[in-house]
Amino acid sequence: MTARVGVAAVWLYRLTFGALFPTTCKYHPSCSQYAIDAVRQKGLLRGSLLAGWRLLRCNPWSHGGFDPVR
Amino acid sequence: MLLFSPLTPLEHAARHVLDWLHGSVGLSWAWSIVALTVIVRMVLVPLTVKQIHSMQNLQRFAPQMKEIQKKYKTDKQKQNEELMKFYRENQINPAASCLPMLAQFPVFIALYYALRNFSHEPAADHPGSLSFLHFIPSIADHTTSHWGGFVLLVVYVLSQMASTLYMSATVDKTQRIIFMLMPLVFVFVIAHFPAGLVLYWVTTNLWTVGQGLITRRLVPKTPVGLVEKKSSRTPPKDDGSSGNGAKPEPDAPKPAPARSQQPPRKVRRKKKAGRR
Repeated sequence: MTARVGVAAVWLYRLTFGALFPTTCKYHPSCSQYAIDAVRQKGLLRGSLLAGWRLLRCNPWSHGGFDPVR
Repeated sequence: MLLFSPLTPLEHAARHVLDWLHGSVGLSWAWSIVALTVIVRMVLVPLTVKQIHSMQNLQRFAPQMKEIQKKYKTDKQKQNEELMKFYRENQINPAASCLPMLAQFPVFIALYYALRNFSHEPAADHPGSLSFLHFIPSIADHTTSHWGGFVLLVVYVLSQMASTLYMSATVDKTQRIIFMLMPLVFVFVIAHFPAGLVLYWVTTNLWTVGQGLITRRLVPKTPVGLVEKKSSRTPPKDDGSSGNGAKPEPDAPKPAPARSQQPPRKVRRKKKAGRR
């Protein structure tokens, strides 16, 4: 149930700020999709942590690639 | 209320910098915002330059990537996965990344709150004009409250489009068009923001454009045909060779800062916890 909150938050982001920035993510499920998957699979708390970690990885020095929640 | 606590320090920080720029440096409030934006972008320069370089690197692989796109035209998911695999195999570092983008995020929010408070507090607390270049009477007011705001909005849309042109990393044409049209939609949302925030946005866009122009000039685009055949061994990034990607390293060395690449594969918390 709480996962819904997380998913809603991601959508809120997508529709507002996400729309402002024309970047596409370097990972395959994009960071926002990853966040949704993570929250759905691992629950709000761990999902958010995983998503946060993914965001940190999504920096100019990493290589990106296929990186689903596992 | 929950959202406020972590943001308050940021708001205060934004306020302090603005106060300093206004009080000590002697800029008007509007120009202080512009200066603050420039400071933020200057801090982000190493990130964005990296990003631009890798974007140019990416463009050299465009033909191969188009091929993959054509091959998996029907299956978007598969197409993406293949593209990502292609990146990895060729040690391409795709330009776009979420972190530098999100780095601007807190500044934006902090500015939003700082500006919102501007309009609540008595003017005596903030000596100095809130106007900007004589056509925005107050940067703390809603953008649409004066005709000058509409001018600013037009500038915003144009600058946003221009910066999209320079920064969007996607090769996909339709996606590009969508991103180009986005500001036209977003302008309706942004119209309700204080003019100062739009000013921030315009400044940061113009910075992006300027940065794009400069790096493009310094780092001439490599002719695609020249590198095509060597591409499988091109180094992951060409910051050292200043974009002259015609001479790839022989053995595609792992970049030093690839540290960030390792953690994702961590075994930690990799499985279970399958509660939903």
